[in-house]
Amino acid sequence: MSYFFYISACLFLVILQTTIMPYLPLLDKFYDLLIPFIIYLSLSRPVRESLPFILFLGFIMDNLSGGPFGLYLTTYFWLYVGVKGITRFIQVGNRLVIIAFIVAGGVLFENLILLGAFAIAGSRQQFAGDAIEIVAVQILWAIFTGSLFLLFFRNAQSRLGAAFKGIYARTREQDKLTD
Amino acid sequence: MVLIVGFIVLIAVNIIGLSVTSRRSSAFGIERIAISAIAPFQELVTRSLRFSRDIWRQYFYLVTVARENYVLMNQLSQAVENKNQWHETELANVRLRDLIDFQRNISERVVAAEVIGRDPSAWFKTVIIDKGEADGLTRGLPVVIAQGIVGQVIEVSKHYSKVMLIVDSNSAVDSLVQRSRARGVIKGEATDQCRLDYVLRKNDVRIGDTLVSSGLDGVYPKGLRIGYVSQVIEHDADIFHEVIITPFVDFEKLEEVLVILEVRKQDWASRP
Repeated sequence: MSYFFYISACLFLVILQTTIMPYLPLLDKFYDLLIPFIIYLSLSRPVRESLPFILFLGFIMDNLSGGPFGLYLTTYFWLYVGVKGITRFIQVGNRLVIIAFIVAGGVLFENLILLGAFAIAGSRQQFAGDAIEIVAVQILWAIFTGSLFLLFFRNAQSRLGAAFKGIYARTREQDKLTD
Repeated sequence: MVLIVGFIVLIAVNIIGLSVTSRRSSAFGIERIAISAIAPFQELVTRSLRFSRDIWRQYFYLVTVARENYVLMNQLSQAVENKNQWHETELANVRLRDLIDFQRNISERVVAAEVIGRDPSAWFKTVIIDKGEADGLTRGLPVVIAQGIVGQVIEVSKHYSKVMLIVDSNSAVDSLVQRSRARGVIKGEATDQCRLDYVLRKNDVRIGDTLVSSGLDGVYPKGLRIGYVSQVIEHDADIFHEVIITPFVDFEKLEEVLVILEVRKQDWASRP
């Protein structure tokens, strides 16, 4: 059930940010929507369940993106490890402000890695100005919407889990009756 | 006998009375009192009846109007939807006509493809198109539209391919200034603009000059339009011009593209 939810959510987010959002005027420079999803997995799901999926996500994104292969894989893996590490020192729970800042931090971290790749390739000063603007816009978006995405994922997974449990219990009862 | 006489007298009196009253224009005033007394009730009942009848009729009328309104609203929304579809078809028709006209102008074999996705990152400029190996696409093939060069195929799967746009920071196109024939390399800036590198300061480059592909990079055929010079910055201590190029292609509105399947090297020199 968990993997069904992860795959559906991942598919939905990837399609949303590659086909719909680039054409929307205000959202064309929105942050990577998979960041809140990875933070959600990191905060709420066990390692053996979430880590393989995060590596899978990185692989998918590396295939879709025009950047060097492994960039997203690296970003997602270290983001996951970083958030796991942070939660050892900070009790996040349902505190939306902390979640918002963790998402913003994740967005900054991803951009730093991607910009690092640009720096290695040799970027120019003019581009640096644009980069600062893009990163600033993305961080602001993350602060205002990041925690909402996390709440949505948490809510959706718990509802889906409850629905699956209900269906499973009903089929078991029916099986018992037929026996 | 008395009964019969009495009956006849009663009839006679009645006839006389009728003949007398029929000659008078008004009665004795009793009818006025009767009218005054009865008429308000008549009026009240009649008006009530009319009111009820009107409400009844209006109700049915409104029901009919509501139904008619519902039907008309449906028809209107369908008409709007049809109009929108026709408009979209018309726009697609114009774009495809441009592509076909452009296709006639180039001698190489081409495949038309549709853009179905964009890069998930704001830093890299790639698009996914709906043609792949099955349609004859391979890595390195140039992608163009009527306005100019779009980019090149960098990854190919069975039915889909990834195209790196010329505005991507990893992209480079060997190019010529059409007017002065000055040569340089157009590199992507990861924004909506490119820059022209390695143009010596002795070469003449002006704002508004058109850039075309030189054909020397082995990817793009010679003579394809790329963009125009939007800014020339001179540095005293530099041997090259710093030239900013605005591509002719609007990458935000990219929908259909042509992939050139065979770039014939022998044709490069014959191009303008």
